Amino acid sequence: MIVAGIDIGSRSAKAVILKDKEIVSSVIRDTGAESIKTGYQAIDTALRAAGLSLSDLKYTIATGYGRVLVPFANENISEITCHARGVNWYFPSVRTILDIGGQDCKAINCDGSGAVTNFVMNDKCAGGTGRFLEMIADVLNVPLSEIGELALTSQTATSFNTVCAVFAKSDAIRYFRQGVKKSDILAGLNDAIAARCLSLLKRVTIEKDFAITGGIAKNSGMVYKLTEKVGMTPLLSPDPQLIGAIGAALFANDRIECNKAVLSPKVNYGYSDGTGVYYISIDANKCDACNACVNVCPEALFAISSENGKDAAVIKPEMRKKISQMCPGSGNCRKNIDKNCQSVCKNNAISHSW
Amino acid sequence: MITAIGVDIGSLTTKAVVLDDKKIVSWAVLRSSEKTEFSARTAIEQSLQKIGLDFKIGLNIVATGLGSKTVTFSRSKSLTACLARGSNSLFPQARMAIDMGAESSTVIRINERGRVTDWQSQDKCAAGTGIFLEQMAKLIGVSMSEMDELSFQAKSPPEITNTCAVFAESEVISHIHRVPATSKEDIVAGIYRSILGRIISMCKRAGIQREVMATGGVALNKGIISVLSKELGFEILVPENPQLAAALGAAIIARETAGEKA
Repeated sequence: MIVAGIDIGSRSAKAVILKDKEIVSSVIRDTGAESIKTGYQAIDTALRAAGLSLSDLKYTIATGYGRVLVPFANENISEITCHARGVNWYFPSVRTILDIGGQDCKAINCDGSGAVTNFVMNDKCAGGTGRFLEMIADVLNVPLSEIGELALTSQTATSFNTVCAVFAKSDAIRYFRQGVKKSDILAGLNDAIAARCLSLLKRVTIEKDFAITGGIAKNSGMVYKLTEKVGMTPLLSPDPQLIGAIGAALFANDRIECNKAVLSPKVNYGYSDGTGVYYISIDANKCDACNACVNVCPEALFAISSENGKDAAVIKPEMRKKISQMCPGSGNCRKNIDKNCQSVCKNNAISHSW
Repeated sequence: MITAIGVDIGSLTTKAVVLDDKKIVSWAVLRSSEKTEFSARTAIEQSLQKIGLDFKIGLNIVATGLGSKTVTFSRSKSLTACLARGSNSLFPQARMAIDMGAESSTVIRINERGRVTDWQSQDKCAAGTGIFLEQMAKLIGVSMSEMDELSFQAKSPPEITNTCAVFAESEVISHIHRVPATSKEDIVAGIYRSILGRIISMCKRAGIQREVMATGGVALNKGIISVLSKELGFEILVPENPQLAAALGAAIIARETAGEKA
């Protein structure tokens, strides 16, 4: 059984493919400006690495900030729930999770089954988020992947008395000009961010065991400071950045294992080639087989069939291999004729990947 | 004869004011350097030079602002106290002063004797400060004064929902690249409103009392003042040199407390 979890975060998009509860492939890429396209590209890269295609997926769950903008997902779940679930899969003993993402930071309490019992979140302020570190890495001209190691070499951390990313940036520039070592500046900033995270953690309960997730958990300098401040060694999964997507994929797996009846067959027709990603997704659950799309499509791609368990619109089998040549794309359709398959579908069952 | 000097060490600029028995005889504003004492001394030297005098130890000086306690040749007084005295001497009818600086904003309530009765201040976060404005001007690619002119031409300013300066920056970028793009004029007005939202909420916490005056470098911005008046619903008093208010207050305190030990 193959399922997928996709986590569209504020800075990076993650996709994980699970086959019988084993990770078969995963992908991390920048979110960029077009999150719908990013979602497709991320899942496509992950699928291709595993030698699969979108139609092999039995169920897909999207999470993260951009979760509502994933047209091929069957369902979406908040990233807090997914992080707790993902961490629980690796470390069932964890009760406290700190998730530091690109533009937010969350402290989560969960129980032994991976269900969230409490959480607090900061997404109002860039202090204590990945964005802060990104800015500083930029100012000091050190690659983001190296700032963790560099901070660990510091002897005396410079102290920063601000958590504001803007003020810290000007302070960092000033220290740098005064000849303070980059490693000391970074260690000082890590200290400031860790303090900020600690105050967030204190608003939930800090219980054993403790885990850190999100991209920042890859920064050894930050993990070191957090260990020092929290007073507990955090458990780190092989790739902490993927935890949210793994949690989503686990939920997808549950949906199929536990509740076969409500499985909503969202069917993805199409493929990706060198020129782009071409999928038409039809949500059979929403489709009421009204024939509107069949009548409106200028290329007659649609038909009504019961091949997915109930009467619903499908793409004609002979068209499935040449969608990119046949379908003018919903955008073009809109320009040239006033109706297209998406606009006539009153249940929003149809979506295009382009 | 000069009787007192006040110096206000800000995060961006250092201001010095020289007083005789009655009025301001000279003043100077310059960019703060990394060394507090050096900044304070240079500002005083510059203001004294204008009236042909030299700096010497033993002058009656009060310093206020960042690191004013470390300045060896002066006494140190709190910023709110200096601000209140300065504001009171500029506009005796003002009961509230809004000080908008480069890295902090302060709201004080003042009684008729120029003493602080209540205050709210924030210097933890760049939201609602001058540095936020400067960053936004850079982002839009205009100077601060051009930005000010633009703000008057706004038609329907968007609401900038993020408080954090870093996130607001991305929000502004998305307005620039939106189809159709939000006009520069509207973006600027949106930014002004976002900054003032923060400041007005501080005013409300302190309790708004008329008359209200604005001080600090940001108050040089006519657009900001006009939006602020509109939001509060009445005219705001702005002195000719709003950034000097705290330094003036420091000088007045120096004159009154002449002879006191540091």
